[in-house]
Amino acid sequence: MAKKIGKIKIRVPRNIKKGQVIPVKALITHPMETGFRKDKKTGKKIPAYYINDVNVYYGDELITHMEWTIAVSANPFMTFYLKADKAAPLRIVWKDNKGGVYEKTLQITPK
Amino acid sequence: MKKETERIRISRRHFIKTTGIACAALVMGGSLPKLIKPAYGEKSKENTSAAQQIEGENIQEVLKRYFGDRKISNSHVTLKTPIIAENGAVVPITVSSDLPMSQDNYVKSIYVFVEGNLKPYTARIDLSPANGKAEVKMRIKMRKTSNVRVVVETNKGKLYGAINPVKVTIGGCGG
Repeated sequence: MAKKIGKIKIRVPRNIKKGQVIPVKALITHPMETGFRKDKKTGKKIPAYYINDVNVYYGDELITHMEWTIAVSANPFMTFYLKADKAAPLRIVWKDNKGGVYEKTLQITPK
Repeated sequence: MKKETERIRISRRHFIKTTGIACAALVMGGSLPKLIKPAYGEKSKENTSAAQQIEGENIQEVLKRYFGDRKISNSHVTLKTPIIAENGAVVPITVSSDLPMSQDNYVKSIYVFVEGNLKPYTARIDLSPANGKAEVKMRIKMRKTSNVRVVVETNKGKLYGAINPVKVTIGGCGG
């Protein structure tokens, strides 16, 4: 794998007003292997390796939880919305089926 | 001078000839997969039937497993999908709902199903009033041309759904 697994990018608007509903875009590098694919050289099945759990925390509160299966594309990209009514860190945590945990925190400061 | 023009004429004729051959070859090349296809087609049909026997994942059964006999009404949910997905491994979808997101009345979960996949259940997204808006964008994998189905559940247990067909092509030609 040329790309590093677990590389995360999160985008939010630059200027946020208090109480505004903002889009949050998040991308993580992950192969999302289905377990159905075969290795062309050896003919063996590639074991499933995918993210199955995503949690989004805003401050201490869990605001969004996602349960994913193998049918989510590789390098999962998602967009969801957030009501920016307080200055608090936004923490997104991805977990995969092999126990890998990837997370990133971003400070949200509405004006 | 005369010789020159002659040479040009010959080369032009030659050019037309070669392009003609090339065109013919292209047309033949285009029709060739169709000749080969039946053999593949039969194979894939066998595969899918075998897979279905193993998995036995009918969309109605899956919906029943997740929602029981509760009625899903086709309103309040908008599902945006491409009409033709050039690459089945990356199909962008947008699910949005005009249902309110207030403290005591909000969209609790969004379920995504792809009917053509071996396991139709693709994802579940649990939202809360802090999201402010019931809209999610994501990318999903689709094994073949089929329907994408989303079901939205409110905190009061009501179900709303939307369904969209997506054509999956391999190689970028709408076949």
